Amino acid sequence: MKARTKYTLISIISLILFILLWEFLSQTGIVSARKLPAPSKLFDTFIYKLSNKNPDGGTLGEHIATSMKEALLGFFFGIAIGVPLGICMAWFKKFDMFFRPLFDLIKPIPPVGWVPIMITFFGIGIMSKVSVIFIASFIPATINAYSGIKQTKDVHMWVAQTFGAKNRQVLFTVAIPSAAPMIFTGARVALNGSWVSLVAAELIASIKGLGYMIQTARLVGRIDVVFVGVLVIGVFGAIMMSTLSYLEKKFVKGGRR
Amino acid sequence: MTMPKLSMTKDSRETLLYGILGIIAFLFVWQLACMYTNFGKIFPTPLVSIRAFFLAFVQPIGRYTLLSHIAISLRRVLVGYALSSVAGVIIGLLMGYSKMAYAIIYPIFCIIRPIPGIAWIPLAILWIGIGESTIYFIIFMGGFSQMVMNTMDGAQNLDTELVGVAKVLGAQENQIFSKIVLPSTIPYIFTGLQTSLSTSWMAVLAAEMITAREGAGWLILAGMQTGRIENNVIGMISIGAVGLVLASLLRNLERRLCRWSVRSR
Repeated sequence: MKARTKYTLISIISLILFILLWEFLSQTGIVSARKLPAPSKLFDTFIYKLSNKNPDGGTLGEHIATSMKEALLGFFFGIAIGVPLGICMAWFKKFDMFFRPLFDLIKPIPPVGWVPIMITFFGIGIMSKVSVIFIASFIPATINAYSGIKQTKDVHMWVAQTFGAKNRQVLFTVAIPSAAPMIFTGARVALNGSWVSLVAAELIASIKGLGYMIQTARLVGRIDVVFVGVLVIGVFGAIMMSTLSYLEKKFVKGGRR
Repeated sequence: MTMPKLSMTKDSRETLLYGILGIIAFLFVWQLACMYTNFGKIFPTPLVSIRAFFLAFVQPIGRYTLLSHIAISLRRVLVGYALSSVAGVIIGLLMGYSKMAYAIIYPIFCIIRPIPGIAWIPLAILWIGIGESTIYFIIFMGGFSQMVMNTMDGAQNLDTELVGVAKVLGAQENQIFSKIVLPSTIPYIFTGLQTSLSTSWMAVLAAEMITAREGAGWLILAGMQTGRIENNVIGMISIGAVGLVLASLLRNLERRLCRWSVRSR
């Protein structure tokens, strides 16, 4: 217990020193404030950005809302289609043989690679982002659901069969629950990928959203806004990830019981 | 590993049949969509795309041919990836092994960790300008935190019994590190290498789309901007192929180096 308090204390001190050093370097001009704005300045910018539309035509809240909406929509569609597809591929052999090569063809293409094509199809609005994010989350969701089902213990299935379970019952009462942790891993990878490709898509072509905000701020040379945007992207990414982990803990435990 | 059999079993013949059926169905739908819907107004037919793909090997797109574009992207990825892997392993080991280092570095690392590599692009451009080192930096940031997290995980999930035994038998601190900590971390490092390779590959695409005048990412974006979607398709296919080759090379290496490990699949 004592060692633990010591290390916590060190952590806090380290963080404070880091921020103080940053503030110091920037305030004294050792590192130009044009390259590294001081934390106090960033805080001011953050407050300012909450209510002010300059320089990119949207408040911080609006950008966050847009980005979250796009990311979550694409993510849910990706999960809603990817997980059943993965389960079907793992359970029905013919289905697997038919879709496998196609899936293998799409799988290695990084989601960011789809951005230009989607923009050509859907323009720079919300649809193009949602479809890129859909691909980003659909692929890991499928892969993980697939391997989750494939890793079902034979013994468990034999037991179910011995007790007269139908094929469908084995799938729903044995295979899918035992694949739940893998499916959640897939969801975690998918969410991460969604957020990354959202930022990329918004950087490349967009009219709103956090990626757009930092890109515009760069073009007009507002490095403080870029910094705030990047930090906000990080924070919201972390919030979404921990929400998912929380759900996982709740859900998977319930499934095992 | 068993040797592949020359004579095909019924199973593998069936797999092949259905696989080919799937691909043909896909191409067929693509062709039909091009012929009868608006899709065809912007999107090339499969034949046109395949022709363009082979042409791109000899005819330059922009300033380079397809192979040179890919080589350029590949070089960028490998430089950034190598740097982030080395740095990530060092910091990860440090944090995983020493509680003190963990207490000092981890809170600061937590600020950086959730930021996707791609989000660093605008900052990198403002800091370094437009050029190769910017792209290296972006790729570095793309893979770095995953490397750190995985390596740290490995070093923290150490079998404490092994360390205890070594201590009892009189091993020095540095011996424990090199004989126990390092080897048992390697499977985790490989997991990190795998994930960070795919994010690096993604980061180079995004970076090239935004700041470069050459490379596979540029190829894709230029295809969109000049309305030549076939270039776009070519770029995606080649990126996918190269990514696949890199990933399987790495998996082979892992299988060879960590034959003893339970985690290596």
